[in-house]
Amino acid sequence: MLNSKIPKGPLENKWRNYQIKSQLINPANKKKLNIIVVGSGLAGAGAAATLGELGYDVKCFCYQDSARRAHSVAAQGGINAAKNYQHDGDSVWRMFYDTLKGGDFRSREANVYRLAELSAPLIDHYVQQGVPFAREYGGVLVNRSFGGVQVQRTFYARGQTGQQLLLAAYSQLYKMKRAKKVEMYPRHEMLDLVVIDGKAKGIIVRDLVSGELKRFAADAVVLATGGYSRVFRLSTLAIGCNGSALWKSHKRGAYFAAPSFTQIHPTALPQTSEAQSKLTLMSESLRNDGRIWVPKKKGDDRIANQIPEEERDYYLERLYPSFGNLAPRDIASRAAKEQIDGGYGVGRLKNAVYLGFKHAIARLGIETIKDRYGNLFAMYKKITGVDAYLEPMQISPAAHFSMGGLWVDYELMTTIPGLYAIGECNFSDHGANRLGANSLLQASIDGYFVLPNTINNYLAEELKADHPTTKHPEFDKVQKEVEQQIAKLLSIKGSKTVDYFHRELGKVMWQECAMSRNRKGLEKAIVQIKELQEAFWNEVNVTGSDKEMNTELEKALRLSDFIALGLLMCTDALQREESCGAHFREEYQTKDGEAMRIDDTFSFVSAWEYNKGHFKLHKEALEFENVKPTVRSYK
Amino acid sequence: MFFRKGIIALTGLFLCLFLIVHLSANCILLLPEETARGLYNSYSTTLRESPLIKIVAYVLYLSIIFHVVYAFLITLKNRRAKPHRYLVSNSKENSSWTSQNMGLLGIMVLLFIVVHLANFWVRIRLGLGEEVSIDSAGYTDVYEVTYSLFQNIYYVVFYTLLMIPLGLHLNHGLKSAFKTLGFYHKKGLRIIAKASLVYAVIMSIGFGIIPAIVYFK
Amino acid sequence: MKVIFKIWRQDNANTKGGFKSYEVDQLTEDMSFLEALDHLNELLVGQNEKVIAYEYDCREGICGQCGVFINGRAHGPHDHMTTCQLHMRSFKEGQTIVVEPWRAAAFPVIKDLVVDRSALDSIIEQGGYISAKTGTAPEANALLIGKAVADKAMDVAACIGCGACVATCKNASAVLFTAAKVNHLNSLPQGEQEASKRVLEMTQQMELEGFGSCTFTGACEVECPEGISIVNIAEMNARRTKAKWLS
Repeated sequence: MLNSKIPKGPLENKWRNYQIKSQLINPANKKKLNIIVVGSGLAGAGAAATLGELGYDVKCFCYQDSARRAHSVAAQGGINAAKNYQHDGDSVWRMFYDTLKGGDFRSREANVYRLAELSAPLIDHYVQQGVPFAREYGGVLVNRSFGGVQVQRTFYARGQTGQQLLLAAYSQLYKMKRAKKVEMYPRHEMLDLVVIDGKAKGIIVRDLVSGELKRFAADAVVLATGGYSRVFRLSTLAIGCNGSALWKSHKRGAYFAAPSFTQIHPTALPQTSEAQSKLTLMSESLRNDGRIWVPKKKGDDRIANQIPEEERDYYLERLYPSFGNLAPRDIASRAAKEQIDGGYGVGRLKNAVYLGFKHAIARLGIETIKDRYGNLFAMYKKITGVDAYLEPMQISPAAHFSMGGLWVDYELMTTIPGLYAIGECNFSDHGANRLGANSLLQASIDGYFVLPNTINNYLAEELKADHPTTKHPEFDKVQKEVEQQIAKLLSIKGSKTVDYFHRELGKVMWQECAMSRNRKGLEKAIVQIKELQEAFWNEVNVTGSDKEMNTELEKALRLSDFIALGLLMCTDALQREESCGAHFREEYQTKDGEAMRIDDTFSFVSAWEYNKGHFKLHKEALEFENVKPTVRSYK
Repeated sequence: MFFRKGIIALTGLFLCLFLIVHLSANCILLLPEETARGLYNSYSTTLRESPLIKIVAYVLYLSIIFHVVYAFLITLKNRRAKPHRYLVSNSKENSSWTSQNMGLLGIMVLLFIVVHLANFWVRIRLGLGEEVSIDSAGYTDVYEVTYSLFQNIYYVVFYTLLMIPLGLHLNHGLKSAFKTLGFYHKKGLRIIAKASLVYAVIMSIGFGIIPAIVYFK
Repeated sequence: MKVIFKIWRQDNANTKGGFKSYEVDQLTEDMSFLEALDHLNELLVGQNEKVIAYEYDCREGICGQCGVFINGRAHGPHDHMTTCQLHMRSFKEGQTIVVEPWRAAAFPVIKDLVVDRSALDSIIEQGGYISAKTGTAPEANALLIGKAVADKAMDVAACIGCGACVATCKNASAVLFTAAKVNHLNSLPQGEQEASKRVLEMTQQMELEGFGSCTFTGACEVECPEGISIVNIAEMNARRTKAKWLS
């Protein structure tokens, strides 16, 4: 039975009640406790720095060459906070409700409320750390609006908000490194979790420079490893982002919640060739002034500017007259997919739709457009070589954010005691769809504010227990398993590259487990992925050795876990026989093609237990005591 | 590193000031011989005998020495910071040739200074080499030293040509000195950059053309 | 499209490296430079050879990990661009493309095109932060910061830490990198308390790491993907002088 440990009391008091009751550890004792943090993004760096400040001994690992590269760096838009600086009626409650509704009522009330509640102090915190948020001439902070809400609560630093927040977190991390409270291990990748007597007590990592496997023991392990949308291969994520730490933890007993809930972002650049490795995100803000369209004629080969106005189909405006081009991400993505699948796609691979600024330029003048989106247009030109002031951009949906992740309770602890998951790698606050500018928020709140206040509740008990050492036989056992996996990969010497298999996996996942899903497709996908898994373990070729820097081996290890994770994602999508948020099951739609949520039977969080290659479903019922789930409508 | 860079900048700026004075004096050489000789010799004697100018002269010597020695030491350190060079380098696409070769230009200027000092300072101040005559007014005839030197076409060419590296060195050095010393007003720096160019052109043309004019006089 | 890659190969920090040429066919102009290298690596796997090690992560120009020296320029032939934003259409059919790792004593080669840039982290460690514990922040609007100050701070805070400034500098100077962080934090009221300490300690660490000094060639600001101006170096010099001699 899953216990989400939600504190008693009214929604507004839950977090305070929790803090009052949770156990404390005196400063002298904190020094005796070690914590491992895997990942150095907003969640990881924030947690490691704060835990260090509290007095714990922290070790922080990341696979990149520096903590400053973590993919939080790439978030463009902003971070939400219920400050109500704009005097437009915002409040913690409204933000709570927007987030819950945006997630299509598939997240916990108490978690979401805490997220909204802590958002305001988080802005104070970042300002104090030196984040140069946008300001008015008078010196106060500026806000802008984002999709899915009617107030202005988004704080931003140009189009580089994620970078600025991450650099703040990274600087605090190095502040604590200098204070000798945090040890940094860049270029180290976690390959497995060590569980001793049912509790997470350490990890096995590979030193990516020497190839050496190393053991680290700790009183608690915190995963902050981000999203796993690279399972689709083509995504907006960094190439190194992976799900291995999650998957290995899942195999060791951590339940995986809602793995299939993946946000597909509507405005990325389309794939142009097989060799493509990445889909660059173009900020959603473009949809404020750009109009999305496709030609009315199927397979129209004319270049965009030759297609006259009356032969263009502004389908979002046609289908969703009240929200038009600003329909939420899941809806805009799905509509684009329908057009592309219907044969109206444009571009070399017929896999894109147009995002035109002709009318905006005519209405506002080119200077205004330059002022608003100049950097995005410049980026578009860098990547595609096309001047978007003269012809429409080509955009296409791309896998973006994982709402799913390891199941965590209110304390952010997974089902393995002592193992925590924070930031994007957990499933907690976003439900079935994440609102724009909420991911930086959640990662930061988990890392800075929540985990440092909950981990003591567990560690207070661990103080009395024996401190783990890497001499424990369980470390031998787990390390041997890792060694065997690596040896196996290097010994296959097949005929196909890792990237080949990743492309194949991506195709299956994109086709069947992305914007719209159906039973037949998912069942087929499960078969295909199993075949792919079989082929991978028999035909892959990984050159080089394990005792050196070997980027091909790194990719192979990550992909082997992605394949397994892909199976779980399809299994999850198959089981959830309803449509909600980003999870759109074709069988469950309204007459006019909208998502049909089935609250009677599916108002729960799916949490999957790993059992020797099989997945067992556990349900955490979602109880809505303070709000009434409604139907999302953007018509 | 910052201290040494600061000293290089300060001494450089002082040397730039000195060059203005030097060039103004050189302009006397452009006057007709009968006026030029007397003026030039009396001027140079006044300089040599003024106690204030003596102090300035020592500052000048020290400036040159510190400028050169610190530049040398910093260059050594900079080379250690970049022990491995690129196989292909397209630095011309991102920076001026001058800025990349201040050391080389500096060595050429130093070479010039050595020859220049040997030609004048060694003879006049140290009294080594051929004896310097006295003019009708009883001053040391520096004019004669100059005039006779520039009857030699090789010296004229040497003095004229080496004003090119001097000009380049001055152009980059002058504007950079301000930045090294922490002048960071954007508009001001743009003006300084233009002023440096004008200054460098005047100095190199001024110093370079006089030997030629003297030669053809 | 066909090109010849001439790439620095070096097994590890302790071995000597050298250039190796690879003729690569079937590239398209739409491919990014890194995708062309990906393609080359797949060919190498097909021949049972070790793949070329090179760095990247976000592939959208913000993480700063992908630096290499391409045909004599940091991040390739264009100004203000990262390697991952470079596309094959910038090269000619049949062209030889020389790819070298960043060169600087402070950036030792780890393997092939991968270098160790942790010296930059060490500079940040010596004061590239504001000493403020989580939970101690005053209300965000309590301290007003004018738009001009915030914008200027943002201009330099945008540094992605790629190391192109060091790579392109003939003196391997990290002074633009250091100046960007110093000016970002020292220009904000939040960073004022430690301003003197910060500039002195960070510049001292920069020297200890073995970076060279600045001769204002201006190459760094051209190669900087964020276009951070060298005027910032002058500004930091002023801050340093003030901290060292006037306070």
